Amino acid sequence: MSSAGAVPLVFEGVSHWYGEVMAVNDVSAVVEPGITGLLGPNGAGKSTLLQLAAGVQIPSSGSVKVFGESPVGRPSVFARLGFVPEREALPTTLSARVFVEARAMLLGMHDVRGAAAAALAAVELDDVADRQVEGFSKGMRQRVKLAAAMVHAPDMLLLDEPFNGLDPRQRAHMMRLLEVRAAAGTAILLSSHLLEEIEGVASRMLVMVAGRLAASGDHRTLRRLMTDRPHTVRVRASDPRALASALVALPDVIGVEVQGTQLLVRTSDQALFARQLVRAAQACNVTLHAVQPADESLEHVFAYLVNR
Amino acid sequence: MSDAVRRASMGAPSWFGTARVLWRLAWARTRSPGVIVALAAVLALPVIFALAFVSAGGDIAADDAMHFLLQRYGSLVSGLATPIIALLLGTSAFSAESEDGTLLYLLTSTTPRWWIVTARVLFAGTVTALLSSVIVLATGWIVLGPVDSDGVVRAFTVAICVGSAVYAALFTLLALGTRRALMVGLLYVIVWEGALSSTFAALRYLSVRQWIATVAGSLTDTTVAPADGGVPLGFVFPAALIVLVATVVTGARLLDRPRLSRVGG
Repeated sequence: MSSAGAVPLVFEGVSHWYGEVMAVNDVSAVVEPGITGLLGPNGAGKSTLLQLAAGVQIPSSGSVKVFGESPVGRPSVFARLGFVPEREALPTTLSARVFVEARAMLLGMHDVRGAAAAALAAVELDDVADRQVEGFSKGMRQRVKLAAAMVHAPDMLLLDEPFNGLDPRQRAHMMRLLEVRAAAGTAILLSSHLLEEIEGVASRMLVMVAGRLAASGDHRTLRRLMTDRPHTVRVRASDPRALASALVALPDVIGVEVQGTQLLVRTSDQALFARQLVRAAQACNVTLHAVQPADESLEHVFAYLVNR
Repeated sequence: MSDAVRRASMGAPSWFGTARVLWRLAWARTRSPGVIVALAAVLALPVIFALAFVSAGGDIAADDAMHFLLQRYGSLVSGLATPIIALLLGTSAFSAESEDGTLLYLLTSTTPRWWIVTARVLFAGTVTALLSSVIVLATGWIVLGPVDSDGVVRAFTVAICVGSAVYAALFTLLALGTRRALMVGLLYVIVWEGALSSTFAALRYLSVRQWIATVAGSLTDTTVAPADGGVPLGFVFPAALIVLVATVVTGARLLDRPRLSRVGG
């Protein structure tokens, strides 16, 4: 039997292979009540990790414990667990109400209608609940999926990219909804490939890159990790060589590379470098045509976190 | 409703309630145009054969009619129509649900996985039995008329129901085991049931078509089984039971590690 006080979710050295491909590589993490964000680029292994947590994938090595028990082959765990898969598909010929009622029935709820009605009202779909899911927008489908996952008010929710396809208003609503659930003591693990999407809602984050857990902590720590790193700046100038020799002397410049009419400068402090660059250009009489960051994409940030 | 109240209102899933949900979801997949057209074609085929036989003109001897009917029952119905109906019904739901990922909504529930498989076998088996019975009764009525003096039509109706259950179980399991259930199932029907099992006597024991003939033969005085002897009845029932139980056990184990298409991160 599961103990009521057990930690909602624990990964211990979990790895998962799909044939030759390693999707999850030696991940250890603990998910406590509250909202935890699972951040990473596409293909990082986030969905696999969530499926491992739901017991629908079996770890190749290591262990997953949901409230102290392995979820593999144990449907009873879903009395306390709700899972929202990434894929949009729903049985399209059913109405939202029939689908959520079906879930309530499969979960052994006594008041199937009441529970479904409450869950649909919580995601603000009550007025369209009797329409077929087929005609629903992406955002509406996301909300049907969420209603289906939390129809039994589980102690833990696993959500795979729940903000996909939501407009800003819907996103804000979904966040409020999750915050209410978290305040009621639910542990929520939600994945996203956009930091901006979840940093406002998640009190803690796990960052996955290429199957590995690259970093974890609150969003401030992660923001810092992601900004306090060497940056590459692309500079186009009238005399790149003269500028290059001036820049090499600066204390925060790690390296300079001349590529035709432009320079690639690596610096440890982007803000300071921006100020020094202008002074250096003035000093050696060089005109600056363009200055732009060369590695601001999320992939670069993730790559940095991995190789740190 | 507060969380505590809602949780207190959870119990063991109801057998009938969950079965109804699983049937409803299966029916939603089965009534796709492709499946309906294929089912209609399979239902029509034996009836067209029977109509062609009786409309050939002239007096048809009772023996000839009986011979024709037994041949159609033995091959066209129990070796082609029924297995294809079972294939369509047994695979449509699980195959589509595995393909689009909605299988997860069944698996992430407290309903025991063996019951999910059992309910789906019940669905496919019952509908296959109903449709197959319609074929047996319709062709029997067309060929023999309203009087079934030897009880052959009745015997085959019972036998086809037993066969429907076995076929439905096999194909439901196939849908859980492979992504290409429809193709593998068709190959099985054509190659195994259609060709191999009637060519090699030893394989008869492993042919559902032959099991149907055995059950039918035990219920009528008319010789139904082929001249070189059928499968003993004492083998058929235990074997059918083993197939059903093995389907539920293996199917539940397959649902513990479902085939999930890999998408996204």
